[in-house]
Amino acid sequence: MPAVILGLAVIFGTINPNFWSVTNMANVSRQMSILALLAIGQTFAILSGGIDLSVGSLLALVSVVCAQTMKTFGLVEGITAGLLAGTVAGLISGLIIARARVPAFIATLGMLVAARGAALTLSGGLPIAGLPREFLVLGAGYIGPFPIPTVIAATAFVLAHVILSRTRFGRYVYAMGSNEEAAVLSGINVANYKMLVYITSGLFAGLAGVILTARVISGQPTLGEVQELYSIAAVVIGGGRISGGVGGIGTTLMGVLVLGILGNGLNLVQVSSYIQNIVIGAIIVGAVWIDLARERRR
Amino acid sequence: MNVRACGAVIALAAVVMTGCGRGKQSQEVATGIVPAGSTETAAPAAVTDYPRPAKPSRQYRIGIAIPHLANPHYVGQAYGYIDEAQQLGAQVTLLEAGGYEHLDKQVSQVEDLIASKVDAIILAAISGPGTVGVVEQAAAAGIPVINVNVMTDSDKVVTRIRSDDDVIGRMQADVMGYQLQNGGNVVMLRGAPGTSWAEIRGNAFRKQLAAKYPNVKILGEQYSQSTPADGLRLMEDFLQTFPQINGVYNGADSTAVGAAQAVKSAGKAGSIVMTATDFQLDTEKFIREGVITASILQQPVTMGRWGVRAAINHLEKKPVPPVMFTGLMTATKENLDRLDLTTLRAPSGWTPPVR
Repeated sequence: MPAVILGLAVIFGTINPNFWSVTNMANVSRQMSILALLAIGQTFAILSGGIDLSVGSLLALVSVVCAQTMKTFGLVEGITAGLLAGTVAGLISGLIIARARVPAFIATLGMLVAARGAALTLSGGLPIAGLPREFLVLGAGYIGPFPIPTVIAATAFVLAHVILSRTRFGRYVYAMGSNEEAAVLSGINVANYKMLVYITSGLFAGLAGVILTARVISGQPTLGEVQELYSIAAVVIGGGRISGGVGGIGTTLMGVLVLGILGNGLNLVQVSSYIQNIVIGAIIVGAVWIDLARERRR
Repeated sequence: MNVRACGAVIALAAVVMTGCGRGKQSQEVATGIVPAGSTETAAPAAVTDYPRPAKPSRQYRIGIAIPHLANPHYVGQAYGYIDEAQQLGAQVTLLEAGGYEHLDKQVSQVEDLIASKVDAIILAAISGPGTVGVVEQAAAAGIPVINVNVMTDSDKVVTRIRSDDDVIGRMQADVMGYQLQNGGNVVMLRGAPGTSWAEIRGNAFRKQLAAKYPNVKILGEQYSQSTPADGLRLMEDFLQTFPQINGVYNGADSTAVGAAQAVKSAGKAGSIVMTATDFQLDTEKFIREGVITASILQQPVTMGRWGVRAAINHLEKKPVPPVMFTGLMTATKENLDRLDLTTLRAPSGWTPPVR
């Protein structure tokens, strides 16, 4: 997969030298940061044997809550409220999955529809403008040569990697995804850890939503359409198994890089956006197919 | 309610091509459907003609981002951009975001245009507030941004080229008010939330009705994505909610063709006054059938041409007026066949080279 990414980058860079420019590298990484954060949350959900379909419309709900609170109370309050909105939505999904035993696919599908509805209701369907200008920094600012969203996403990758590989919670996520029954029998409180999985996913969606709100410097109830599917694609393209237990932050990072570089690179070498969709679709299926073929050969 | 049969009333409907050389906007609407002179615009010193500049010596690269191409309005605009750029020897990258719900995609597209160092960016914004950040990024990178059709809430744009949406709203109100002289109930399909056109047109419609036709009441309004499917769904629901609907306002004809289908299916064609903006083929058909009463026509091809002209003028260091309004016409059943559509539609069979 790293070879594929490098290959893509070389091809795009040869056709349009601007691809390698510092501005564009900052640009790609900033564009990828939203998907990256969603995909990190999705990694927890998929690794644990579940899925979180709600993350796309959580972006919209978070954006609206964040913007409305920010207008009334202030910058910090708005950001906090946005993060909280994502986390609470994750908690609700988690409760429904772990306590009411509704399959994750259904529970988060419900949340996908309901969160969009909540975003539209709260905002009356209208964008919320008039946010403080300082907020724009979170979306467009830099720390040294690095865009702030990129720094946040990179930090999140490291943090999530540590959680998944070094903590009990991380080990249990893999255990639940590999064999839930065995996990229960070995005394893991599966219900609690499942809830924690969806809270984590919601929190990352909250972070992504806040950054996206800063990027568009307004609360937007229509944000995030089909982003949940791209986040799932990012997890599986890198080599994460859709049924859980296999994968990790490293493979998800690969998936995010492929999707991000493709999207930006195809724009820069002027491939039609219609054809881009065909290419991305083919790559999602192709990457997983190659992965499975390799696994079978072993 | 007394909905007049259009055919009888319209003497000569508004073939007012104000785009070229007229000092005033599209107000000479001498038609039975709109009382003449009823919609004087208070537009501040708007430019009403904007001739093609001399072909520049260098080949400029212009990046263009528009909301989508599912609406023929934007196909006409795309034709204006591409054809004008050809005339002026400019190279164009045209990007479409796939709909008014994909703000994040448009923001990324404009960022990509900035990164590929185009000479100028022409932006039909998906969201007024939502594109402020990216317009300021472009300005900071020294790339001029020209707003066409849908505006960004930023003073960093070089110029704003659009129809006078305020006049469009008032013109629709005048049709509605004149048709419903004995009063009536109206619903509004406003169009895409957060866009300058949906806001300004709808507000002007409301204001004009309240001021001039107080016995016409607005029962309800809905925002939606600007598609026929949304118009159909909302209108069906409106017809269920309010049995006493006499008129329907449409911010854009994309919702109107859906709403017209709903009105027709309900057997109320001709007994409900329908007004719209723009002139796609289905709108023309519904006007011909008498389902849609009148539509206010913008000139998307002209908008596209002016956008490219403004970009070139700015790049050639010539002054560019800060606001330019393209002209308007009113289409009714009576004048359909006499309208000059070259400023509205791409030649038939033309397809946009989307990137």
